Amino acid sequence: MSDLASRITAPEAAAPNQDMGDVETAQTDGAGMIGNGSGLQEVNYDVEVSLNELQRDSTNPLGSAHTFEELGLPGEVLQGLMAMQFQKPSKVQEKALPLMLANPPQNMIAQSQSGTGKTAAFVTTTLSRVDFSQPTQPQALILAPSRELARQIQGVVQTIGQFCASLVVAAAVPGAVARDTRIEASVVCGTPGTVMDLIRRRQFDVSQLKVLVIDEADNMLDQQGLGDQCARVKQMLPPTVQILLFSATFPDGVVKYAEKFAPNANQIKLKVQELTVRGISQMFMDCPDESQKYAILCQLYGLMQIGSSIIFVKTRESANEIMKRMVADGHKVTALHGAFEGGERDALIDEFRSGRTKVLITTNVLARGIDVSSVSMVINYDVPMKGPGEREPDPETYLHRIGRTGRFGRVGVSITFIYDKKSFDFLQQIAEKYQIDLIRLVPDDWDTTEKEVQRVIKSSRAQSGFNPSAK
Amino acid sequence: MAGSSPVRHRQTPSRPSPVRSPNSSYRSEDRNGEMNHLEALLAAQVLHDDVRKRAYKTLADHEYEEEQKKRAEREKEIKDQQRREEERLRHEKKLRDEEERLRALQAQTVPKLPPKTAEQLAPQPKPSPQSTTVAPSNGDAAAATQPAAANPTPTPDTSSSGPAAQDPSRNPFQAEPPRANGHVSPAAPPNATSSPFARPATSQTANPFAAATAPEPAAQAPAQIQPTRPPAVPVVDDYVQIHRNLKKLRELMTEHAKSNPQLKKQMGEMRREIRKSLGQLTGGKGANKKQLESIKTILMSALRGQPSSPMTDPSSFVVGNREPVEGALNNEPQLPALFLYLMNQLGKAIINQFINECGASPRSADPVGVVTAQLFSAKEFLWRGQSLIDILMAKFRIVCPVVFGYRGSDKTNQGRLRLGWKKEGDAWISEQQHNDRMMGLGIGYASIALRDFSKSSNINPWPPSRYWKSMADIVNTPPDEMTDTQCIVLKSMLNQHEEKFINFYGSAAVAALRRALVEFPNSAPKKTPGVMGLQVLAVMCKRDMGLDLGL
Repeated sequence: MSDLASRITAPEAAAPNQDMGDVETAQTDGAGMIGNGSGLQEVNYDVEVSLNELQRDSTNPLGSAHTFEELGLPGEVLQGLMAMQFQKPSKVQEKALPLMLANPPQNMIAQSQSGTGKTAAFVTTTLSRVDFSQPTQPQALILAPSRELARQIQGVVQTIGQFCASLVVAAAVPGAVARDTRIEASVVCGTPGTVMDLIRRRQFDVSQLKVLVIDEADNMLDQQGLGDQCARVKQMLPPTVQILLFSATFPDGVVKYAEKFAPNANQIKLKVQELTVRGISQMFMDCPDESQKYAILCQLYGLMQIGSSIIFVKTRESANEIMKRMVADGHKVTALHGAFEGGERDALIDEFRSGRTKVLITTNVLARGIDVSSVSMVINYDVPMKGPGEREPDPETYLHRIGRTGRFGRVGVSITFIYDKKSFDFLQQIAEKYQIDLIRLVPDDWDTTEKEVQRVIKSSRAQSGFNPSAK
Repeated sequence: MAGSSPVRHRQTPSRPSPVRSPNSSYRSEDRNGEMNHLEALLAAQVLHDDVRKRAYKTLADHEYEEEQKKRAEREKEIKDQQRREEERLRHEKKLRDEEERLRALQAQTVPKLPPKTAEQLAPQPKPSPQSTTVAPSNGDAAAATQPAAANPTPTPDTSSSGPAAQDPSRNPFQAEPPRANGHVSPAAPPNATSSPFARPATSQTANPFAAATAPEPAAQAPAQIQPTRPPAVPVVDDYVQIHRNLKKLRELMTEHAKSNPQLKKQMGEMRREIRKSLGQLTGGKGANKKQLESIKTILMSALRGQPSSPMTDPSSFVVGNREPVEGALNNEPQLPALFLYLMNQLGKAIINQFINECGASPRSADPVGVVTAQLFSAKEFLWRGQSLIDILMAKFRIVCPVVFGYRGSDKTNQGRLRLGWKKEGDAWISEQQHNDRMMGLGIGYASIALRDFSKSSNINPWPPSRYWKSMADIVNTPPDEMTDTQCIVLKSMLNQHEEKFINFYGSAAVAALRRALVEFPNSAPKKTPGVMGLQVLAVMCKRDMGLDLGL
């Protein structure tokens, strides 16, 4: 589909085509258009494989926007997007934004892969709905499952809204709002529990709320506690509020509930096979035994050029142990796990996000949503497990974990460690569920492994139509 | 207590203690008395103080002497350096004259050819071999005109918006280049010299200063664009040739490694260690000491022949010829191939770090730039007194030709090749991926080229004048040939580097920023995202730095 070359018809370029692959030829004469050879045909981006048809009232035009300008966004919001070097709407933005921005406001349930621009889509919508002449009146609420994610979204709102002079964004996460103060901000990002409490205590005036966004919606609506809290928050909001539900995954059971939660919503969904971001090179490391995992881990950083990386481990103890080893090897490391709380966690994640450390070792707390765009490698030091006693593999978590890399069409690598039959079988089950071809790596000859990794990265990028979001 | 006696003793501190006082006599009744002990104690104290004082004085004298010596040495060193610099300047001047003569000769042949194919045989002056160092204006001007001369296409300058048609005094890139940090920037406006064959007085166009004020558009060839054109005869520039040679070197080393297991093992380990160390770089003072040391150790070991590898002539990996320089560390005609191979790997790792990391996180470019500048300027890794940074720049030239003044349409195959648009298999990479790469490379280029060497004893391997030139090449693109690739590279070159740029070039930098962020995008025929990105940067300059570029 996105095999651009096949769309390029080059009628007059028969001769130049001989050396088409020759960069040197093309680059040596510095001429402008004249030396440019034949014209590319404009690529028709309308071809949409990954998105189902939207279930919509046919009286409404089913729009899709090819440029941000076409969306009729407020000038300040557009400037913010340009400052962030957003060149064009991604697939999900292209489809979702016109629907979400349409008047009268309609609900939306959108499922799209990790790193395809969901956050930017709902933040853009949110900012477009805010009346900046009332900077202290809460008008939009964005809910996320964890404080890290809520703060991250707050950051995105501030970045895209950097040119909106009177924009005030507040975080409603545990400990952020003092007991006797009111929230005086136009956009509020928070976790459901805290938001619920704030509304009940009348610290948060929801009477003028126009938009409710729930990010990682499957997780939020599925989990007993969070789901209840979300429902209660919703009950306290004006009935006219526009509800937007976003997630990378939407298991069937949750979809039903989501449809009730956001009635008459437009839906954007991907098929299961397309859920994994194909731009991520997924491999596994066949370790001879568990004790060698440490040494092998350190070798991985020589195989390819790594920006930042995240290592997911099962226990705090191994997180700390790996951290010690890696620091000794010259890495700057942050270990983040359940032992840290609140502000401490914020500080640690900021350390990683700001680039002061480039390796993040963490237990499952962070599998979802955290977007550090320079993460180029995710390591599953242990195969993700779930259920009582952690006895069965957890494909959803696997997907969310590897989704921390390869954001926005960038190169990403994920390597899962296995060391015995059991761990191999578990990984196999995950791979089968998503029909992933996992590439096996062996730690015997690093020259060979290096070559293999380079090959895999190249070939998975070359897959035509990889990552449908990134055009 | 009888305190009188010590006074006496102070005058004769050297006298042995037994005769100090009557009490001290062994015959004295009081010889074991407290008084005698106290006296002895005091005397000892005095003696001690004296010795101490003298020691201090000796130390101070010594220090003073040392300092004098050092000062003299430093003076001598500076004088030596001055002499060397002068020699080099003379040399460069000579070279430049030769170059000019060569170009004049080349240019003379041009008018004889039919106009349509003229550009194929257009003069391709080699960049001045000395231009990698602190270059005088003349030396670098040769390099500056290179892309211009490589771009002799009759520019369709019928519209008045072409930079050449504008008042030259308003365009900082067309005025005489400003001086920065002792370097003179090469700012030959490509457009002003864009059509050497259109005018008989070709030697004149070779001089950027003459050209800057010369009325150009009228003299230019008709604005007739031929949509199809026989492919140009590949005139490969030096960097492309170096890039090829490096590829050959890599193959050669792989071959050698096959028959030499020891070399294979260590070569792989060294390569991976360099890659890892570069990936570990972070911001913050002193944060990268360990990584820098580790890379240096590896390179040093390869240079010393550990493990041994065949010897190779480095001149195939640098621009221009190099003669041995007195006092330089590596003067031999050949260096271990492994060392050059690893320099190549280092260059590769640097470029990949920019591509993979810095598009997403521009902040991480600076530490890479610092380490790059440190390694490529380190005296122990120079060859014949000059940096081997051409190895890195050859790669830059391939992946980001825009900073070397090349341009092309992003709507055509040939154009995309010229813009450095990468292919994966048979397909072009997506626009977003391409833009991401260009962002990382743009900021990466700035992080190397805008380094302050004023406090360093090393020579800046890629001085700010290079940056100025790259910027000039981009902003002097005729508006209708402007592409988003150029806008994106330009923006990421400038973003977060405005201050450094201004520090080097002062008000000339402000004028250049105005040209790049206001006039250049305003002249664009279409408000593409790239163009808007530049305009937004101007707004951000005003908001964040109070720098009003006159929107």
